[in-house]
Amino acid sequence: MIKLAAHGVAVGLPAGWEGRIQRRQATAAEQTTHAVVHLANFALPEQRDDFGGGVTTRMRAADVFVVLFEYGPESVGKPLFAARGIPRVTADMFGSKRLQRPLPGQLGCQRFFTAGGRPFCLYVVAGSRAYLPRLVAGVNLVLSDLDVTP
Amino acid sequence: MTTTILVVESVVLVLLTILVAGLLRSHAEILRRLHELGAGLDADDTDDTDDTGAPGVSGSTRTRSVDLRSDPADSFVPAADIRGSGLRDDALNVSIVGVPHRTLLAFLSSGCLTCQEFWTALGGDPRALELRDDVRVVVVAKDAQEESVAALRRLAPKDMPVVLSSEAWSHYRVPGSPYFVLIDGPAGRVRGEGTGATWQQVATLLQQAADDAGDTRREVRIDRELIAHGIEPGDPSLYLTAAQIAQESRSPSPP
Repeated sequence: MIKLAAHGVAVGLPAGWEGRIQRRQATAAEQTTHAVVHLANFALPEQRDDFGGGVTTRMRAADVFVVLFEYGPESVGKPLFAARGIPRVTADMFGSKRLQRPLPGQLGCQRFFTAGGRPFCLYVVAGSRAYLPRLVAGVNLVLSDLDVTP
Repeated sequence: MTTTILVVESVVLVLLTILVAGLLRSHAEILRRLHELGAGLDADDTDDTDDTGAPGVSGSTRTRSVDLRSDPADSFVPAADIRGSGLRDDALNVSIVGVPHRTLLAFLSSGCLTCQEFWTALGGDPRALELRDDVRVVVVAKDAQEESVAALRRLAPKDMPVVLSSEAWSHYRVPGSPYFVLIDGPAGRVRGEGTGATWQQVATLLQQAADDAGDTRREVRIDRELIAHGIEPGDPSLYLTAAQIAQESRSPSPP
């Protein structure tokens, strides 16, 4: 596992996985930005939107793309983020209507949670249902080695 | 008296002009010769990358200059993924080993003059790079402590990963910038490395590396076909001359 860490997020990546942990540049003086993590079992393109714009159109059937998007501290304690700790995913959580940008064959999954006192959204795009069991196992392996510090 | 002084001053001025012109010409000639010999490898980078126990840097540089074909002895370092930081306060890992494509690592720096040609080429029209579809270019610069991140931001191609990783420079024993390492993802091995003065030169050498790899695949296929037909290494039939084969085909076959 290759360890990647920045902005209070650390993740171990299995062989063949790529990752970026970044924080978008603020566009205004009063604006604050938070961590955005992109993980994938394929080559990540450089031009990516937070939730996979520019990425998912390039995915093949056996590919999976994982987003960990941090919200601002004002979201802490809100019912949407009531779940505590890093979640795991199961095949039945995935559906074609859970995609930010629906594409033929792809399936999406979205979980909101709070870890290390920080509110996050976990968003996963799977390339196809045929590979879903394998992709879910891969995602859970990565999630098992994900740490968030306050 | 004044006329004499003016004449002397004029003569001195002419002599100085000739001297400066000669020096400039000599300097230009030295630069031209150095460029021919060193293919533009940046001296500063060369000095501080020799912490890996690699053989003498200048000798290493000279022998590897403009050679991106495969090494017959296969003495390259093992391929490894690239981990480092990005140009916008980010951390990143670029997967290279076990991926379905090849990766061309471009070790560049913001300060080296020869690198400017490559920054320009990589930031331009991707079609002009004349790369095969299965080649992904990843630019690797040194860590922020040894680089100008602001300059790199200005130079970085927007569609290619740019990783700051002195660790990668050490791992791949990069003698100086610019330097290129071609990695075969499925095999997880370095297929060639070297430098060049222009992108066109590097692209041509990449093509040669691909052709060399094609030769290896063809050789493996022929070996497999021969073994499938019972002809193993050392089989006498492999050493027959054309004349002997012709004679065998003319002689009557046993009943």
